[in-house]
Amino acid sequence: MKKINALFCFMTIICLGLGLTSAVATQKVSKGNEVRLSFDHFYDHAELTKALKALEKAYPRLMKLVSIGKSYQGRDIWAVIINNPATGPAENKPGFYIDGNIHGNEIQGTEVALYTIYYLLKNAGKLEYVDRLLRDRAFYIVPTMNPDSRDYFLHQPADSNSPRSGLVPYDDDRDGQLDEDGPDDLDGDGSITYMRKRVPDGNYKTSPENPLVMVPCKPGEKGEFILLGTEGIDNDGDGLINEDGPGGYDMNRNFGYNWQPNYVQRGAGPYPFCWPETKAVRDFVMSHPNIMGAQSFHNYGGMILRGPGAKNLGEVLPADRQVYDFIGKNGEKILPGYRYITIYKDMYTVYGGSIDFFYNSLGIFTFSNELDFDQYAGTQPRRSRSAEEEEDDSRPLRFGGGFSEEEILYHQLVLMGEQLVEWKPYKHPLYGEVEIGGVKKFGRRVPALFRLAETCHRNTAFVLYHADQLPRLSFEEVKVEKLGNGLFQVDVRVANSQVTPSISALASRRKLHRPDRLSLKGQAKLISAGLLQDRFRQLVEPVKVRDNYFLVENGIPGFGRVDFRLLIEGSGQVKLIYDSLKGGYLEKSLSLK
Amino acid sequence: MNLRRTKTFFVLSSFLFVSAFWIYLFSQAELKYHSPQDVAALLKNLAADKPDLCRLILLGQSAGKLEIVGLEIAAEIQKFKPGERQAVLIAANLEGYHLPGTEAALKIARDILNAYGRDKNWTEFLRTHTIYLFPLLNPDAASAYFSKPKFERDFNARPVDEDNDGLIDEDGPEDMNGDGFITTMRVKSPEGQWIVDAKNPRLLRLADSRKGEKGEYLLYTEGLDNDGDGQFNEDGPGGVALNRNFAHDFEYFEKRAGLYPASEPEVEALLKFMFDHHHIAMVINFSTENNLLNMQQTGQARVGADKVRVPRQFATFLGLDPETEYTMKEIIDTLKASGFGRGMEIDESMVATFLGLGPAMTIDRADQVIYEEIQKVYKEGLKQAGLDYLEKRAKGVGKGSFAAFCYYQYGVPVFSFDLWQVPEPKKEEKKEGITMDRLKSMSSEEFLALGEEKIATFLKEQGAPPNFNASMLMKMIKSGQVTPARMAEMMEKMPRSRPGASGEEHPEGYLLTYSDSVLQGSGFVDWKPFQHPQLGEVEIGGFVPGIKYIPPVEQLQNTLKFHTDFCLKLLEKLPRLVLKSHKIERLGSNTYRVTVYLQNTGALPTSTAQGRRALTAYPLRVKLILEPGQRLFAGKPVEALPFLKAGETRQLEWIVQGKKGTQLRGKVWGNKINPLEFSLKID
Repeated sequence: MKKINALFCFMTIICLGLGLTSAVATQKVSKGNEVRLSFDHFYDHAELTKALKALEKAYPRLMKLVSIGKSYQGRDIWAVIINNPATGPAENKPGFYIDGNIHGNEIQGTEVALYTIYYLLKNAGKLEYVDRLLRDRAFYIVPTMNPDSRDYFLHQPADSNSPRSGLVPYDDDRDGQLDEDGPDDLDGDGSITYMRKRVPDGNYKTSPENPLVMVPCKPGEKGEFILLGTEGIDNDGDGLINEDGPGGYDMNRNFGYNWQPNYVQRGAGPYPFCWPETKAVRDFVMSHPNIMGAQSFHNYGGMILRGPGAKNLGEVLPADRQVYDFIGKNGEKILPGYRYITIYKDMYTVYGGSIDFFYNSLGIFTFSNELDFDQYAGTQPRRSRSAEEEEDDSRPLRFGGGFSEEEILYHQLVLMGEQLVEWKPYKHPLYGEVEIGGVKKFGRRVPALFRLAETCHRNTAFVLYHADQLPRLSFEEVKVEKLGNGLFQVDVRVANSQVTPSISALASRRKLHRPDRLSLKGQAKLISAGLLQDRFRQLVEPVKVRDNYFLVENGIPGFGRVDFRLLIEGSGQVKLIYDSLKGGYLEKSLSLK
Repeated sequence: MNLRRTKTFFVLSSFLFVSAFWIYLFSQAELKYHSPQDVAALLKNLAADKPDLCRLILLGQSAGKLEIVGLEIAAEIQKFKPGERQAVLIAANLEGYHLPGTEAALKIARDILNAYGRDKNWTEFLRTHTIYLFPLLNPDAASAYFSKPKFERDFNARPVDEDNDGLIDEDGPEDMNGDGFITTMRVKSPEGQWIVDAKNPRLLRLADSRKGEKGEYLLYTEGLDNDGDGQFNEDGPGGVALNRNFAHDFEYFEKRAGLYPASEPEVEALLKFMFDHHHIAMVINFSTENNLLNMQQTGQARVGADKVRVPRQFATFLGLDPETEYTMKEIIDTLKASGFGRGMEIDESMVATFLGLGPAMTIDRADQVIYEEIQKVYKEGLKQAGLDYLEKRAKGVGKGSFAAFCYYQYGVPVFSFDLWQVPEPKKEEKKEGITMDRLKSMSSEEFLALGEEKIATFLKEQGAPPNFNASMLMKMIKSGQVTPARMAEMMEKMPRSRPGASGEEHPEGYLLTYSDSVLQGSGFVDWKPFQHPQLGEVEIGGFVPGIKYIPPVEQLQNTLKFHTDFCLKLLEKLPRLVLKSHKIERLGSNTYRVTVYLQNTGALPTSTAQGRRALTAYPLRVKLILEPGQRLFAGKPVEALPFLKAGETRQLEWIVQGKKGTQLRGKVWGNKINPLEFSLKID
């Protein structure tokens, strides 16, 4: 508690200190078409489109809505760009990127992203924290990367685990036919649940406490049921049920860093960025090289994940790791119960995930949040969870139709049966008399609607905190000394008040993007320059001066400063420009006299 | 020069012969290198002239907006739908400067079209197969040879900030002396590291300070420092080397390889094409790699790749010991026994993903045997054709290369041919024992067969440290830890203080000999002084671009003939399924046992082992199509056979209830084999 207080105090101080100028700049937000969005339901693509268009109309100066491409089925993949143009063009500010719902069934990321947009716009000119962000950050937000599967999940019979894929037809069982044997909503209730069959020698029985709970038999015990997997029939007559459903790949294994083919990384797809959706996101992010921080939303388990996704990549460089740790650990305070952990070490191996591409290929600090816990578990995990319980998607066992007593009770008493199908008989063409029932698609992995707003707000708070921690550079000190003969020695100190450096350690080591630039404009010539290593001993490490500018290879470190010493010939008004691709753009006028 | 004349000739010829192009094609091939424009025109004309046999493929555009064209060759498309036919892909010139490859691909097209309707086998082949032919896949780079100044280029026109200064393509080379070539500038400097070679005064070599030699020259590519950063030609126009842009063993953070695999439009277009046509069962590739002469793979073999450790969190869950290594099969069995993933088929890929295992880095042993057999025939053929000089400098498949992709990820047999090397005066070779060159092309079994004594002698000759002895090496080879080719590569990299190194033949001496004796000196520009605006007094000279890869076209005749014939023989090896025989036995009233013998009559298995591991080769499926009144009593309605070896016969059995005299139908299909249908009379 104490730490949280300290953190918020710290934030408040920053707000007070920096908020004044930006408040003026954002006052003139359009008041005409106020938009009210609710976060007590899930938005399908049409509704999302409507909400985004309404927001754009209400805040035309701050928000731009762009389609960054079409999904396989032709839906627009929307991106929202938020920037306060009064404080400079977006590309001159450190950018923050957000995407949600890359996995079709992990829908609540879209609501979180939409809430972030809504919150920033609604509070512009009202909340200093927000104004500060709008003043010197630009936001690039893709609420859903997978609109096809989103709509499929919301409107078609689905279960809580699928469709995870996009909807390009895919030959899961390698028989030459595409998507020919998916699950079937046999009982017509709009959800894919589970099948069980009463047999005398079954390996499951019902719990004596609650007849809806299925319990595996102990050795020697006589059971009543066998479980037959998810609802469906053998559509293609090959003897297998539900072996080739819609899609069948994983877009979060399709990104171009540490990518591995299907046989190493299931779901990878034939080659990096082969899907229209991943391609659109790649192009959008790469065309905004000012993006320095990023966030993806998944479900579930309550995690703030960072890379690397696979062991072969080794640990993140120490300097960059400090940035991740600083933000991630504070994130745990913003998101009670969420744990800040590393994908490959604490979860499972991911080759070709977006998080690794953004950080390793583009130099962007990226987190991925696994939103929410088991619905019945309260606001945080009920007990400490072991490693294998945490990794979720690859564990079909947990979703195989077994329900714990507490889960069933939750569905009966808290959700009052809304997401529960009690076992009902059905005549199956292959299995004969079976029963169909279990938890419906909204009953797991996504938050119950009465809790959605909290998920949205807290995760938005984390995202905005990360965005606030992007580099914030300033000319902290500029000292001009006249040397005679028209020569001036100018000492310039560029400082960074936030934890994120203007260039990640990895980006400067691997030369991922251009370095920062310090340049001189005006009737003067930059003759020589260097990094001032020790101002007391006057140790200057020379840098290569180009056409009135030089490159700052390592940028400005987080919570740090760099001193430059310039030798300038000329006179009158000149301008110093510090231009960082990802750290922002500074100008300062000087008079040489 | 010569080039301009041939170009004019082509422009003329294409006007004159447009209608009579077919005749032109059948005439003795015109001897010249075909530029990207020539290739496009040639293929378009072919497609227009023979619409029943050829179809133009517009694969896409290069980064430099040049079109990439290909040809689909198939006859009587009503016989099998094109998408169902077994297909072969012939690819050339991904490296841009490998112009001989383009000529080879064109010659194959020419030969095969020529044979259609004349030769019974090839006519039948084209009736049942599809050939996809892409003679020039890197037009941006290839164009560098056909324009002035000429320079050697394997990368496309993608703008890349090679020196990471925020400026793109701002400092490329210039033809300072106006001779039409980008060669080398040497300038005397106190920082110089190069000296004139004593034996070959036109060549330079690094000074050896241990011998008291002092460097004299700095070397630069011909050109200016356009952006004034003190470096010369460090960020020229382009680009990404396409043959390094594929996804197997991709080199991240190498600007020439691209930011990520398949980042280039040419590569993406080719991949998309191949995955849209997954019936491609073999790839023939022309590049500077020769994977039959040098079986070196892109990376190092992984120790104990057959067995793996299970990470602790999974091991505890499954009741396995995290310190013990298990085979994949053991892990799969344990997983199944644990009830994990009920109802799901657990395969190797699933486990590999789950455990975070990496990709295959060596040719699977089952496939290696096939390659070695073909290698034997190939080498014998080369010797008879007088082309065995190719062996000496043969290159294995490169990191991120197309050939590596084809085998490891696309999962089909790939044969890559370099076609030509600068010939080298033959040196006396010891008949007995091992040489470095022989080592490179040896299989592990061949190497081990030499015996410990010979290996020990060889190690001694090579100056291996005493603790690196023969028995230890043999153990490593046996376990697959290292291959002979890999070992040769490592040994070549070992620093050695060989006596009299400076007295040795300069490594590029053979190029000079070739230039003087075969090219009448035109392969080398003699050093001439030049007043450089930035460097002052320099000399410009050196080998002309492309000397290593692009011989005068007449020199290719022999190798093109040999290689195209060899490739056509490879096509004959493709697997094909036949119903060898069948048996129907009556078991009782209206009950029959139906036995079918399915045979692969080809000389290759129906899929490679790697194709099965990579999941790109589908299992063969055999389905019985039952009529009303017929019932399957025993046997699977759809049988999945992983594969059939070359020549293998497989027996399949069903017990069927049905009326006498009715027909029992079935079909067999896979994605890399022509489908087969059968109809048997119950009798």
